[in-house]
Amino acid sequence: MAKRSSHAATALLLAIVGVLMLGANFMVFVYAPDEKVMGAVQRIFYFHVPAAIVAFTSTFVMLGASIGYLWTRSRIWDCLARAATELALLFCLLVLITGPIWAKPAWGVWWTWEARLTTTLLLGLLLAACVMVRSYADSAEQGARLASVLGIVAALDVPIIYKAVDWWRGQHPVVFGPGKKDPLAPEMRATFLFCLLVFLLLYTLLLVLRTRIACHEERARDAAETVAARGEAG
Amino acid sequence: MNARPIIEAKGLTKRYGALVALDGVDLEVQPGESLAIFGPNGAGKTTMTRILASSLKASAGTLRIAGRDPRVHDRETRAMIGLISHQTFLYDDLTARENLLFFARLYAAHDAEARADTLLRSLGLIDRAEDLVRTFSRGMQQRLSLARSLIHEPQIVFLDEPFTGLDPHAATVLQCTLERLRGERRTLLVTTHDLGRGLDLSDRWVILSKGRLAAQGLSREADRATFESSYFAHLAASRRVGATA
Amino acid sequence: MSRPARPVSPGFLRSSWIVASKDLRLEGRTLDAISAMAVFSLIVLTVFNFAFDLTTVRSVGVSKLVPGVLWTTFAFAAIIAFARSFQTEKFRDSLSALVLSPVDRGALFAGKALANFVLVLVLQAALLPLSAIFFDYDLLAVAAPLLFVVVLHTLGIAELGTFFAAVAVRVGRGEALLATLLFPVSSPLVISAVKCTSAVLEGKPLASVQQWLLVAAGFDVLYFLVALVTFEYVVED
Repeated sequence: MAKRSSHAATALLLAIVGVLMLGANFMVFVYAPDEKVMGAVQRIFYFHVPAAIVAFTSTFVMLGASIGYLWTRSRIWDCLARAATELALLFCLLVLITGPIWAKPAWGVWWTWEARLTTTLLLGLLLAACVMVRSYADSAEQGARLASVLGIVAALDVPIIYKAVDWWRGQHPVVFGPGKKDPLAPEMRATFLFCLLVFLLLYTLLLVLRTRIACHEERARDAAETVAARGEAG
Repeated sequence: MNARPIIEAKGLTKRYGALVALDGVDLEVQPGESLAIFGPNGAGKTTMTRILASSLKASAGTLRIAGRDPRVHDRETRAMIGLISHQTFLYDDLTARENLLFFARLYAAHDAEARADTLLRSLGLIDRAEDLVRTFSRGMQQRLSLARSLIHEPQIVFLDEPFTGLDPHAATVLQCTLERLRGERRTLLVTTHDLGRGLDLSDRWVILSKGRLAAQGLSREADRATFESSYFAHLAASRRVGATA
Repeated sequence: MSRPARPVSPGFLRSSWIVASKDLRLEGRTLDAISAMAVFSLIVLTVFNFAFDLTTVRSVGVSKLVPGVLWTTFAFAAIIAFARSFQTEKFRDSLSALVLSPVDRGALFAGKALANFVLVLVLQAALLPLSAIFFDYDLLAVAAPLLFVVVLHTLGIAELGTFFAAVAVRVGRGEALLATLLFPVSSPLVISAVKCTSAVLEGKPLASVQQWLLVAAGFDVLYFLVALVTFEYVVED
């Protein structure tokens, strides 16, 4: 009974997010005006920045879940941590793909080692390493434990990397800054905020789904082990 | 003579996911007692040894070592335990004496130098004390590993399959050494496949099968001639119980 | 029969020292890590010399090129030491014996990190004069501030390298993992190291890079504490 209602809730959420994403696309491509300097290509901003925000948010979810797992050793935290790590990596990749697409027309080069792109690349490498550890580990328990420790180490590093790289470089267009008059037209601001909301909802949905799948995977693996063990006994 | 057991385990369980390595084991060992643990591979002998030696945490159940919970008093518990396994835990590029002194310092042992010399002498290694461990034979390394585990005068010594890989001569030397340890009234827990040696070295024996205690008894009452067949009978019985459970 | 009360295990500092001195004695006897690091570094420095010959170096400027070359070399060579420090523990499973002992797990980490720190410093003591010869800059003029920068940043790299080497050795095919973990995580430290070394080679006072020095110092302290707290989860079963 509970399962059916949770499936229904998930389906409803999926539908809502789907509709909202369609709405967001409309706002990005139709509603928002062209940007003065960069023209149409600037619309990537509405995907690029929310993706970055989600990537960093997910990294902190990973931090919390890792601490939760080491504290309680209960599996649900590990499943959440795994989901958060993978989603952070996914959104990181989105940032790293949309960035160059924007950079080429805007700055003339596909890639520069400027602050935010470099930080995101480093974050992506950190997250990839966390994912690797899990797959290299001898047992699920060891993988969960080591991945949690690494998740904490990596997540704590993120603000440090951000600041260090920022001091080291600085070429990124700063859209929102203290004391700057707001360069965004009201329609653009509305579009951006709406896209951010949609991305966050999408992220939450994916997080819930992936955590659930991870728990099912664990249970399936347990069941397979039990069957195998019984097979040896017989 | 009802001294408190030095090891009290109740309902000891260890799960790795769905795999149950230990399933509700109850065990009591008196101070100065020598226990032999028999059982096939995968029965949970090493898992149980490591939980009792406090290097592994149980999933469920209670454990008291000398009346203390090892999870709370972890350092005091570890200070009174010595363990040897089929891995020697030694450093090949240190001498025998350097290895012993290193571990003695880690355990804050009294009179480390004197104790190291005594152990080397009693284990027949004093002539090789200044030689690098990489030059030792397997049997000598095993004896040095035993010395390593005794350097801090532990009250409980765990021996996890100590005879593995030893030729008959080395095994006999090790056995004599372990007899001497029994004479010193230390608590010994020996895991082994060698039923004869296990019975010779112990006061009591238990058989572990599929994570459960399948049988136990007193070693002096065991009939050497028939013990092997009754061992297999106990194992078969435990498998039947497991299949219907 | 009462036993005289004695400490169950040595204190934190003493335990760390016991572990560190054991590692240093082993290295002193075999010279495994030092020799491998030395050969590797020499090769890398030589390759860099082909990559940037003296004319290029002079036109770009020593202070712009040499810091990057140096720290890249140090980082890759140091990995050899970090990996080895736990491979010796894995060989006869001595790590299990260390974990079985009553010694604090943080002290195990601190001892091994200290030994690795010393080894990498020894390497740098040999490499720096060599790089001064290869790239033709005056080492003696900047020796004191350079020493400070090198020690400060090597400390953090040694901490992280030791920690990740422990993680990598616990896991099956861990060799690739050590580099994959170390470089991204230590990137702020490497950035700071290159910046500070560059300033020193330009003859600037250390105060000009004090924000970087603070970053490095903060990094060293933060990750020392994180490692102390989480090391038991890495080595336990």
